[in-house]
Amino acid sequence: MEALRSPADNPTPNRDPNPNSNSIAPSSPVWPTIDGPLGLSEEDSVGYARRFYQFGFALLPWLWAVNCFYFWPVLSHKRSFPQIRRYVIRSAIGFSVFSAVLCAWALTFAIGGERLFGSVWNQLVMYNLADKWGLTGWD
Amino acid sequence: MAQSSRPPSVLDSLGEEIIKIVTPVSICMFLVVILVSVLDSSSSSSSTSAASMATIAYSENDSDSSWDKFIGAVWNSLAFVAIVTVVTFVLVLLFYLRCTRFLKFYMGFSAFIVLGFLGGEIALFLIQDFSIPVDCITFFVVLFNFAVVGVLAVFVSKMAIFVTQGYLVVIGMLVAYWFTMLPEWTTWVLLVAMALYDLAAVLLPVGPLRLLVELAISRDEDIPALVYEARPVTHRDSGHEGRVVQRRVWRERPNSAHDPAEVPKLNSTVNPALHGNSTNDSMSNTNAASIANENVTNTVAVQETLSQCLEGESELSAPLIDHRINVSPQGHEDAVPSENLALEGIGLGSSGAIKLGLGDFIFYSVLVGRAAMYDFMTVYACYLAIIAGLGITLMLLALYQKALPALPVSILLGVLFYILTRLFLEIFVVQLASNLLMF
Repeated sequence: MEALRSPADNPTPNRDPNPNSNSIAPSSPVWPTIDGPLGLSEEDSVGYARRFYQFGFALLPWLWAVNCFYFWPVLSHKRSFPQIRRYVIRSAIGFSVFSAVLCAWALTFAIGGERLFGSVWNQLVMYNLADKWGLTGWD
Repeated sequence: MAQSSRPPSVLDSLGEEIIKIVTPVSICMFLVVILVSVLDSSSSSSSTSAASMATIAYSENDSDSSWDKFIGAVWNSLAFVAIVTVVTFVLVLLFYLRCTRFLKFYMGFSAFIVLGFLGGEIALFLIQDFSIPVDCITFFVVLFNFAVVGVLAVFVSKMAIFVTQGYLVVIGMLVAYWFTMLPEWTTWVLLVAMALYDLAAVLLPVGPLRLLVELAISRDEDIPALVYEARPVTHRDSGHEGRVVQRRVWRERPNSAHDPAEVPKLNSTVNPALHGNSTNDSMSNTNAASIANENVTNTVAVQETLSQCLEGESELSAPLIDHRINVSPQGHEDAVPSENLALEGIGLGSSGAIKLGLGDFIFYSVLVGRAAMYDFMTVYACYLAIIAGLGITLMLLALYQKALPALPVSILLGVLFYILTRLFLEIFVVQLASNLLMF
């Protein structure tokens, strides 16, 4: 249906507040967030970006990822919103590094299995631990 | 297709509003159906039902007759509705006394409990059923991330809309799955009882939800509850670019001189005073339960899941507060194009967003999840009934322009269709299919 607009399409209306501007020069976005006019203004965004970045150090790479998603127009346009861009770039780097390490560990654990780890594998795997601690006993 | 040459018709804007609310409801129901069918078929403990606050009056076992089960289910539902009423009145009182910080904090906390504990348990079910070789470090890191970001999404007023909506749908799905673990008769009678309660609470002048709504309107605040708000529809010809569109849905604040300490948006849950102890109880009782294991005594079981259920319940009761749809009047004072003014007559302002309480999501999904436990045929029938009920409620909303209960029409239609499908449609379809006539 043509009336259906997915929320992800929002960056398009933001990018060009006046439709008469020439398309040759890349127009910088007015709104730093992915929500466009519904999101934050530029002043508020700096505070939010900084706080998300700092909180992400508490073992929260997903928060860094959400930070990058939220400020996607900042990431996708170079040379826009320099203050916000600092934090968002660092969040992106942090998320990539952390998730690479976590994935490497998880895959090693899953694929290596008992051959690699020995008996420690059975002590670390989650379904055994769930049984041991009775975590899935609803009642 | 022809674009801006023709003005947006009523159908475009109205249809888009409805789609924006039907989509998340459908996604939530779909996820619950998937969870139910995946976990139910592979689990062997389907006969043990979760003892919880909803079954304190009577716990069903297979040997009772239908009439006994029905009466027991009625007692259970009455008890549950009574508890919910009390908790809702407590919330109204807290809101009246302006304890918004406390409510907001408690909402964040119970979102953490739901996402962390309920989400963790369901993830563990999946891991056990499929024997996924996840280690505990990865599991806990991922769960911790998921829960904390969820709390932030619910707590922080200006988070990415997509993230907030996604987490609300996930919370609804988790609580709905937990409710489908109740015994069967209790679930159905409970659904009908909640539909009637919703009708009474929103429409009667003494109903707690109506009091809450009127308080919120008189104070010009948002109701503190977990509410799903659809993204406001911005039309092409309304001049909203260039200013931050306010997402407050009740009404536009004519001046910004209001108390800035007011919570700008929703989202806190009720805390029954019991909850403070319940987390400690659940910790100690988990150990006790693991020792006693399957032969756990009724009291321990009830206590452990009572505490678990209280957490779910306290979170639940707040969305129950707001499980009606309301619509914002046209919020902006500046000049609006005439087409949008025409839309106001229907009651869906162009920049207003439809709000649907999380309790509605939960109970719709419980109905469909319970239907999925029988067969997919009932799922289709109940899904169509619920969506039709939702559409009727939206039309009534456009007609009456005030807060309306979203549960009664959909739930009653859903239950009716479930019964009819089981009694009549199933025989018909099975006969046709086994004779290779159709389907």
